[in-house]
Amino acid sequence: MRFKRTIVAASLATAAVMLAGCAGSPSTGGNADGKTTLRVSVWNYDQTPEFKALFTAFEKANPNITIQPVDILAANYEDKVTTMLSGGDTTDIITVKNLTDYAGYADKKQFLDVSSIAKSLPADKIPALKDYDVKGTTYATPYRQDFSVLYYNKTMFTDAGVADPANLTWDEFAADAKKLTKGSGGSKVYGAYIHTWNSMVQGYAAAQQDKSYDKPDYSWMKDQYNLTLGLQKSGDIMDWATANSQQTSYQTMFETGKAAMVPMGTWLIAPLLADEKKGTTKVDWGIAPIPQITSGGDITTMGGPTGFGINKNAKNPDAAKKFLKFAAGEQGAKAVASIGIVPAYHSDAITSQYFALEGMPQDATSKKAFNPDVIRPDGPTGTNGAAIGNILNQEHQLIMTGSKSVDDGIAEMQKRVKTEVLHQ
Amino acid sequence: MTTTAERPARGGSVGKGAPARNGATQSKRMRRKAILVGWSFILPNFVGFALFTLIPVIAALVLAFMNWDSYNAPTWAGVGNFTRMLGDENFWIALQNTFLYALGHVPLTLAIALGLALLLNQKLRGIAFFRVAIFFPYITSLVAVAIVWNMLFNPTTGPVNQFLHLIGIADAPGWTASTTWALPAVIITSVWRDMGYYMVLYLAGLQAIPQEYYEAAEMDGAGRWHKFWNVTVPCLRPTTFFVLVMLSVSSFKVFDLIIVMTQGGPGRATTVLSQLIYQDGIVQGQFGYSSAISLVLFLIVLVITVFQFKLQQRRER
Repeated sequence: MRFKRTIVAASLATAAVMLAGCAGSPSTGGNADGKTTLRVSVWNYDQTPEFKALFTAFEKANPNITIQPVDILAANYEDKVTTMLSGGDTTDIITVKNLTDYAGYADKKQFLDVSSIAKSLPADKIPALKDYDVKGTTYATPYRQDFSVLYYNKTMFTDAGVADPANLTWDEFAADAKKLTKGSGGSKVYGAYIHTWNSMVQGYAAAQQDKSYDKPDYSWMKDQYNLTLGLQKSGDIMDWATANSQQTSYQTMFETGKAAMVPMGTWLIAPLLADEKKGTTKVDWGIAPIPQITSGGDITTMGGPTGFGINKNAKNPDAAKKFLKFAAGEQGAKAVASIGIVPAYHSDAITSQYFALEGMPQDATSKKAFNPDVIRPDGPTGTNGAAIGNILNQEHQLIMTGSKSVDDGIAEMQKRVKTEVLHQ
Repeated sequence: MTTTAERPARGGSVGKGAPARNGATQSKRMRRKAILVGWSFILPNFVGFALFTLIPVIAALVLAFMNWDSYNAPTWAGVGNFTRMLGDENFWIALQNTFLYALGHVPLTLAIALGLALLLNQKLRGIAFFRVAIFFPYITSLVAVAIVWNMLFNPTTGPVNQFLHLIGIADAPGWTASTTWALPAVIITSVWRDMGYYMVLYLAGLQAIPQEYYEAAEMDGAGRWHKFWNVTVPCLRPTTFFVLVMLSVSSFKVFDLIIVMTQGGPGRATTVLSQLIYQDGIVQGQFGYSSAISLVLFLIVLVITVFQFKLQQRRER
């Protein structure tokens, strides 16, 4: 009998432990010794050194505050944060990966209003601040600002006798790509590599013609599609189907000299510097302004800020506000620039600090590329951003694989956005 | 110590009359204790099941009739989500793809698994090696399987198409890059992955067939074909039934392979219902609508399974 009672007790205890395990998160926050612990959601903490750089710098400046990263797998970041927030999680600060996610958080009023912090920051030095403006209210502040530049392999340009791509239009880009392509089969070298994302065609067209995705008239994509498909047909870029089925890495394409030009975000700089230091790549590279649709005007590129928002259920909103201000300002910029990340805060001092990094190209073109005139969002933003983005991506695949003509693909995008998203 | 022994026999005379009263309360207490013990055994498992399966399933059932973005309070939608589904092109495309996938995956896997089991149900030296080799895909990480097959199916440089060129097929399919061939590519991959598992089930079924049946059939002059058709197939019926049900359920629920291999593309060529549920719910935050789709998927699987059970019962009669 006693044996049985023990089993009953043990089973009940197990059940109780299981229930308790689900019941809530451990309490953190203000301690008796006046120390505050801020919890910040991040992705791939070990492989994303910017977080550690920022946190260490902040803790040094604020000895009373400790930061505890809440590490989430990058691939599941958005879904996991959504689940956390809807479950009433009390993590103080949420890192905002892109503007599409930001629109979701702001729309659902999941973040605290931080307009007062935004107003206290120098708007002329932080252009990305305006990206977070939702009808006069700001729910997050940026700490990094990525944008597209053209990475190019200097050796390959010299060998082919092609001038540096200092000021290209897309047509000139295509012509250069043709000259730089050589070889065939396994040893083929492409003049350029256009990654599989739909933003790599649609985004440039939208940014450089200042078009909005919210209006279902996408005829402005046509020229950019024709240009890209033409390059694909002539074999000057890797075809979309191959790149997609092999899950080709743009970084590998560039680092192994398989492509002479790669239009890509500034996030590629830090890994390039790191691989150079490690000796895994010997590519002599530079960055140039992204090619333009029309020549002679402003350099317009696409990109987006990464920022921090404060959870509505935050345990330490005051300390969190301190962190947001720190990360968006000059001190935060210094910390992230020191590891090759492009900060949201711009100044001459930061630019020279950035170009002083070991391995950074020193030519005038690269410096010019680092300061584009206009940066526009790289995809649909706002409440319908995710839904529109999904449709545009599906039709992009059909156009790039030749399953649909450019005209049919664009017509289908317009029709689907109208019926599925805007319910017109 | 067994619990059943302590229970009074049903319909027994215990408890009748005054002298037996004391015994009745005691046996009642014993019984309660026995029930408690029983509960305590299943409780740890049941708590997990209830928390992570039962409650979410019931919640999804209710949510199907609501609008909910997972942040704000849900609002009542009535049958709104279902009428929306009727007019939603994405739903019909996903439904069609799900059925096409099942129509390809179920019979092919079944036939190949049975064929392999017959082939490997022999006493040969080194047969174990082949059995393991065929079972291997099933225990390989699905992500690895999807990525490798994606490379094999590469339309220009992939070995599959290079082989097809070699045997004289000039216009080889575009596989995962083509809207027509993406679904067949996914089906081929999934058949390759699953066949080993179902082969093992069939092997077990084959080995349970008494040898005497075959001997008797031979005495009656049955050839190979007759033996297969009149002995093997009927004796394997319970196995086939089990394999069929498991295969159908898993086909309608397919998600992981497609997410890794094609993400539902190109376009919507391989989008299936479970992926649509994920896309509309988790990604776009329309939990009411995605719950409604999941309810429809549940009903489809339920109807098909019940139908298979009925068919099996009739056959057995």
